[in-house]
Amino acid sequence: MPLNEPITPGVVDWTGENPGIFLKNPDGSFSAMALFFRVAWSPIGQGQVLLLYGTPNQVNGTTDAPNLIISDNPALTAFLKKNFISKLAVFANAPAFETLPEFLASGVRTSGDPMSHRYSETIAAGELTIELVWEGLEPPRALELSPHEVGSGEHNMFSLLIPAQAAHIIVNGTHLSGELGTRVQAGFETTSAFLYFSETWIIPPEAL
Amino acid sequence: MSRIPHNPGRVEWSGENPGIYLKENSQDTSYSTLALFFRVVMSPHGRGTAAIVLGAPDKAGGWPDVPNFIMTDNQRMMRWIVDGWVTKMPTFMGKAGLGTMRWLDCSSVSKRPGDLKSRYSETLRGSGVTLEMVWRDMGPPLPVEVTKENSATKEHEMYSVFLEAASAEVIINGTPLSGAVAERQFFGRTMSTAFLAFSETWVTPQEDI
Repeated sequence: MPLNEPITPGVVDWTGENPGIFLKNPDGSFSAMALFFRVAWSPIGQGQVLLLYGTPNQVNGTTDAPNLIISDNPALTAFLKKNFISKLAVFANAPAFETLPEFLASGVRTSGDPMSHRYSETIAAGELTIELVWEGLEPPRALELSPHEVGSGEHNMFSLLIPAQAAHIIVNGTHLSGELGTRVQAGFETTSAFLYFSETWIIPPEAL
Repeated sequence: MSRIPHNPGRVEWSGENPGIYLKENSQDTSYSTLALFFRVVMSPHGRGTAAIVLGAPDKAGGWPDVPNFIMTDNQRMMRWIVDGWVTKMPTFMGKAGLGTMRWLDCSSVSKRPGDLKSRYSETLRGSGVTLEMVWRDMGPPLPVEVTKENSATKEHEMYSVFLEAASAEVIINGTPLSGAVAERQFFGRTMSTAFLAFSETWVTPQEDI
């Protein structure tokens, strides 16, 4: 719940949307991971960025399961990689992280309803079309997380979580393999497919 | 007071909610123009965009006789937000124009965010109206978290990121409405009456559900 002081101390790092889908192999390793950013404010401006590990255990992905970034603001991609994604171990430690190829987005489209049955983001670049689909959507939860409860380990974070019971990563019409897993966020067990709206990352005063 | 990471309240809606409130003279007690923009990414009534413009807030009447209207691509959602939020905001409460504004369709919305510092605009078109809302000279983003007691509706908790704008315009079919940005007391400090508001979420506290 909000604290009594209406202006939260610290500096806004970025704010926007940050949904994702993590699929797993039967042995528990990741078979595919996708993280999407729709940034409403950052020091680099607005933009949309898709980070896709179609083949997370290799430097180079395959044609059907590529490792890549698609973005409409390459400067924002660089900002997020340096200041945010590099602090998320699951992405930063992947073999492909340092050499991910980046493509300029030719189109990004949202469809569906996050409070109904299905929601999707479709991101296109040249011959590539990536669809992220979330289904079995749960009621939204407002989160207020402290540095020890977030992936970066450095921020206070406000967000709106909508967990999904099913999800798909579709590359040019082909579904990437894998199943959803579970994860725990600040004591709450949820799935590895999630919508995050109105998400704000704040660098606390003691970290400036 | 320590944070509770999972707010036990009910999330109502979330999105962007920037505004422009103008005065003819900075010392005036009432505004000459009130305008709010909505880009709602989730609500029980779906997603949508809208703008409310009261170019004559204290005058009963609607477009085209009086510049009081709402443009939206989701009337059901906006009826719910007007009744549950806008009518409860002190700036809009009791304004004759709010009850008599004309409801117009919105067929397209486009934004020009620029560098988020010098100029930001939203343009809505529909029902023969082109509405442009322009914010200029934005300050740094301020993260806000507001308790029910401190919120505009006095019924909801609210999270948002505010950017003050030093100047702003509301332009209808190429003609700016009169008035200029003023100052007001908000969040315990003196702030501009023109602002961007990103990542805004409204929550009904658990005790009121």
